[in-house]
Amino acid sequence: MIGKLLGHCRIVAKIGEGGMGIVYRAQDEVLHRDVAVKVVNKDRHLDSSATQNLLYEARASSSLAHPNICTIHEVGETDGDLYIVMELVEGKSLRAMCADAGLPPESVLRYGIQIASALTRAHDRGIVHRDLKTANIVLSSDGLVKVLDFGLARHAGSGIFDGTTRSFATPQGVSSVSGTLPYMAPEILRGDAGDYRSDLWALGVVLYEAASGRMPFEGRTGFEISSAIMREIPNPLGPPVPPGLWAVIQRCLAKEPIQRYQRASEIQAALEAIQSGAIVSSNPATDQNAPRTTVLHSVRHAHVKKGDFLLLVGTTKGAFILRSNSQRRRWDIGGPYFHGDNVYAMAYDGRGGQHRIWASTQSYWGTLLRSSDDFGKSWTNPQQAPIRFPSDTGLSLKNIWQITPGRPEEPNVLYCGVEPAALFETRDAGETWSLVRGLFDHPHRPRWVPGNGGLALHTVVLDPANHQRIYVAISAGGVYRTNDGGATWTAQNRGIRAMFMPDKYPEFGQCVHKIALHPARPQRIFLQNHWGLYRSDNCGESWVDIANGVPSDFGFTVLMHPTNPNCVYIVPVESDVFRCACDGRLRVYRTRNAGASWEPLVRGLPQKRAYETVLRDAMTADSLDPVGIYFGTRSGQLFGSRDEGRTWQKLHEGLPAVVCVRSAVVEGASGGAVPSLPKAARPPSQKTSSSTKSTPRRSKR
Amino acid sequence: MPITFHIPGALREFTAGRSRVEIEHSPATLADALSALWTLYPGVRDRIATEQGQVRDHINIFIGNEDVRYTGGLASSVSPGSEISIVPAVSGG
Repeated sequence: MIGKLLGHCRIVAKIGEGGMGIVYRAQDEVLHRDVAVKVVNKDRHLDSSATQNLLYEARASSSLAHPNICTIHEVGETDGDLYIVMELVEGKSLRAMCADAGLPPESVLRYGIQIASALTRAHDRGIVHRDLKTANIVLSSDGLVKVLDFGLARHAGSGIFDGTTRSFATPQGVSSVSGTLPYMAPEILRGDAGDYRSDLWALGVVLYEAASGRMPFEGRTGFEISSAIMREIPNPLGPPVPPGLWAVIQRCLAKEPIQRYQRASEIQAALEAIQSGAIVSSNPATDQNAPRTTVLHSVRHAHVKKGDFLLLVGTTKGAFILRSNSQRRRWDIGGPYFHGDNVYAMAYDGRGGQHRIWASTQSYWGTLLRSSDDFGKSWTNPQQAPIRFPSDTGLSLKNIWQITPGRPEEPNVLYCGVEPAALFETRDAGETWSLVRGLFDHPHRPRWVPGNGGLALHTVVLDPANHQRIYVAISAGGVYRTNDGGATWTAQNRGIRAMFMPDKYPEFGQCVHKIALHPARPQRIFLQNHWGLYRSDNCGESWVDIANGVPSDFGFTVLMHPTNPNCVYIVPVESDVFRCACDGRLRVYRTRNAGASWEPLVRGLPQKRAYETVLRDAMTADSLDPVGIYFGTRSGQLFGSRDEGRTWQKLHEGLPAVVCVRSAVVEGASGGAVPSLPKAARPPSQKTSSSTKSTPRRSKR
Repeated sequence: MPITFHIPGALREFTAGRSRVEIEHSPATLADALSALWTLYPGVRDRIATEQGQVRDHINIFIGNEDVRYTGGLASSVSPGSEISIVPAVSGG
């Protein structure tokens, strides 16, 4: 072969040999560069279709121009020899480098990011490696990682340098699998075809091996290795491997593909986050002596009694609690709580006889979920943020947009919708929170885009009849629904327009502003979109336009009447450019026939130069008779109606911009005392000069 | 010679009211110094850093008078006797 011309490459020297063929160094006589030429063994007995497939995949792979992918220049056949001309990569294989004891974590991260980047490019082009392993990854002399043999494994095997690559038929004879056993994903061993997520499994094996020098799944025989891959959990990697890196590896090595990362780019992002975050103590110890509750002394509090009616008002500069009795005529106000912080979400939780107020706070110092069991006199102030993205996600919490208590039968369950768009749940009344992976891993997620307010999951709606069904709304992703308690989610946006997309009716990507459903008729949902007002009568399967006669179908809030499933309130704004009440007239619109027609409700509301905006969560109803409706505006006015919207009163003005309004009737409270707070923790009668003082946390609730 | 953290008012709730915290041993970098700070006072950590270990966007850290954004971030070197200030940025409305 030496001296022979293959295409326009003259073979210079043999540089390697494996089960499939021989690799030569060659000189490209046209382009005058050194190249590697892989010649597939003649005795490989590839039939013509296998040959054609190999050629096809090699040609496809040749389109992968990426600094971390060994470039395929040319493929061809001559005199029956099948050959592949590729970039000559001179360096050391990752396998050789980590064979003894594993590499330092910094190196593993650096190489892992490059490998994930290479996989991202290939997968985006529809090319799966199928035989990723440390022997196929070379560190070039200039420090770059090069992944070899993309797309060559399926038909030809790729183990030129590594005799352990195997191609064989599955027991079912359905598909031919190939690869290297210790790197094979469980689904491959089961005989499934596998997909790009099998490469992500292999990347997990590569990272484990690079970090430790050991294989995650070992055995003396092929059977033992296969058995370990199918059933065993790898030995944990401790220091010096950072916990974040170990978390990434574990997620790559989830037995079920759906539980892994769904894209190589997510692994890249997670590794980059670990790399840039030199602060590795992601789980700091708890200081038992430190405060976890803040008691507010100099803040004015509302004195709350049993049977009182409350309005919880979240603003861009803190939270307020307005108190009245069931007459709802006279109000006193407590607050500001968390003065200066954004309070985008509040909720009242009266389940199980408690009277807990929840609030999310966002400031320079991060985003926290807090609660108060004494109507604002003291609030939890956790050392560690209770809602946090796991390290393998690479994401950081920006804001909590929605706090939704679970169904009455599940008093310890709550949900939070957050930015960046994700859903968290707790099953122990807020002691611990976890990311709902079923939604987070949805393949649409990487293609959701931020709305004007950020990429937020801002609405969580529970179906009261079907305990497995939850709806969420995402700006801009659209409406998603689960029918299995959060394990899997589907986009439910058929018929909802996306003005800002080339395809006006895409499967997802709509900028939905709010959704609401009535407990008595949970299959019906109302929706205020970024342009568009819709109703679905079939659990979100399809939507119809109901903007019949409203001055604008742009708006933010949509509020369900608590007892009448045909009655909905909205507050239209002029346009996405001028997000203020149409014509400077603050008008609430109501339908009592499920959207067939709408009527303006204006009595008591300013109708001249009132350029007001009512944001998506700034409107609420009460459960009294007659029903009360309340809303706050961006200019800090708070309005209420005790007759279902027929007439309005201004309850307060001069508040910061109102972003959230919630109502509650207090059952079982007495005198605003602090029943569960230890004596020592009660506020002293003398006010301190400081506005806050800390006390130990009350006992676990 | 210890290094000294200057703690802003908003975080003193988590440092037993202290406005100055001294780290006795000699951390080599800002990351080491911060790790030592929140070993002493864990509640400070999530206020300064995200769950991914990055300093929050609107928190500025100065070693002496130098903003660490321009001296290598968390890898900035800390010398014995350094004074480290944690300051929320001036921004917003």
